[in-house]
Amino acid sequence: MGVGDLINRFIEKALFTDFVKGLTVTLKYNVSRSITMQYPDKEKWIPYRRWRGLHTLNRDEKGRELCVACELCSKSCPTGCITVIPMEDDTGRGISDRVARVWKIDLVRCLFCGLCEDACPTRALRLGREYELSCTDLSCSVRQREELLQPQSIPETLEGGVVAAAKFVRTPESIRVAADLGKTKKRRL
Amino acid sequence: MPDITTIIAVIIMVVKVVVVTQVIFSLPMPLTWIERKIAGHIHVRLGPMRVGPHGILQPLADTIKLLFKEDITPAKADKFLYKIAPLVAMVPAFAVFVAIPFGGEFIVPFTDKVFTLYISDMNVGILYVLAIGGLSIYGIILGGWASNSKYALLGGLRSSAQMISYEVALSFAAIGVVMMTNSLSLVDMVKSQGDWFWQWNILYLPVGPVWFVIFMIASLAEINRIPFDLPEDEGTLAAGYHTEYSGMRFSFFMLYEYVAMVTVSCLAVVMFFGGWSAPIDFREFEVLTPITSISWIYGLFGIFWFVSKVAVFIYFFMWIRFTLPRYRYDQLMTIGWKILIPISIFNILLTGLMRIWA
Repeated sequence: MGVGDLINRFIEKALFTDFVKGLTVTLKYNVSRSITMQYPDKEKWIPYRRWRGLHTLNRDEKGRELCVACELCSKSCPTGCITVIPMEDDTGRGISDRVARVWKIDLVRCLFCGLCEDACPTRALRLGREYELSCTDLSCSVRQREELLQPQSIPETLEGGVVAAAKFVRTPESIRVAADLGKTKKRRL
Repeated sequence: MPDITTIIAVIIMVVKVVVVTQVIFSLPMPLTWIERKIAGHIHVRLGPMRVGPHGILQPLADTIKLLFKEDITPAKADKFLYKIAPLVAMVPAFAVFVAIPFGGEFIVPFTDKVFTLYISDMNVGILYVLAIGGLSIYGIILGGWASNSKYALLGGLRSSAQMISYEVALSFAAIGVVMMTNSLSLVDMVKSQGDWFWQWNILYLPVGPVWFVIFMIASLAEINRIPFDLPEDEGTLAAGYHTEYSGMRFSFFMLYEYVAMVTVSCLAVVMFFGGWSAPIDFREFEVLTPITSISWIYGLFGIFWFVSKVAVFIYFFMWIRFTLPRYRYDQLMTIGWKILIPISIFNILLTGLMRIWA
């Protein structure tokens, strides 16, 4: 190492150049905008369509259940958490005469792999975008057909991948974050 | 029976002391909030947001929490010392503010009385501040010793070693400023620096900036802040000297740390940045010429300038905290003994020569 290098290093040390560099970095971050999403107080993340959340059972445009109770979802499930019991019904409840008497899923055992969705021949089963599934006991872990047939709060038409304005709603029955899908914005990264 | 002037003087003095104590006492609350906010924003987070608008009431919630916490005394702790240690740390931190000038003096309008914006103008102000400020360390050492905990004891030990090393450099920096300003009184120190910013001690080239750097490093170590917060090194010592403390006793230690930070910021402003004087001498402008240095407008603006300079320093201390990692113990000692003290001694020589020839 030559004398010039030594002098340079001395000057750098004396002028605290490394220190100033570090301070510049932190100052830059200090004045930059925060990337925090204020969930659950004010904002909620609306996932993309590819998100695999709570299962939903679809109906066709005439309001008939698409599920034909073929049990393929139950067969394809790696954890065996889907129970399907078929029955005959020709009143037009489903698209065929074979409909599900029981269609239930144990969300505690479900690993949200989406194989059931792939196996479904009629596209009746879809993994939706509800992701607030926690509860304080196991009562809410098993979801029945009637509940899954209700349309989910985020419609399929919405692209997703945005942050929606939300409100934290606390009732004696449940705690949930109600998103206002009209007021959305891009996530800052 | 003392005459009326003495009584009024005593009353004014008491009022000043009460006001200053109240302000200093309530200062750590907003400072904790500001520190957490700055921490948040440097981490690209938001910091406290839930209590009040932008979390402004967070310190209040913290205070309530600390008040209701159980005051635990460890078994086999030295009860008396354990209980008195936080107060030993806290009281000197407040006592320091007796000597610190927040502004100059002005003539009260419509009278011929002079009102001073400091509690007292001690002729050994800087000595008093360093001496009393150094007493706080007893609180830390006693707290560490009396807790009957290895972490606390190690924290206290480190703290004492750190104080011994850095008090020297800090005093040297003070000596340098005393040499530059020809006075030990903090008020005279400010007055001897000019009204323009290039007349301040920080720009007393070439020694001023060096003294300032030495002062800043030493005072960072004195107030136990990152990068020198070895006494409360949470990585290796749980929480250092206040590991065993809980509730209000813990918050007294926190109070001491924040007040010490304010003290050091005030000292830096008084010693190097012209105290209450504005960076530009506004009286040079024709419109403002009637404002003399003893008019009340000048006095009140002095407080504004003083507070804003102190605020900049407080921000700087917080900024450093979230920029630098903590020094290792041997590095701390190396910086103290092998770098700061030789540089200070050399700098004293240089300052002396400058005083003789300049």
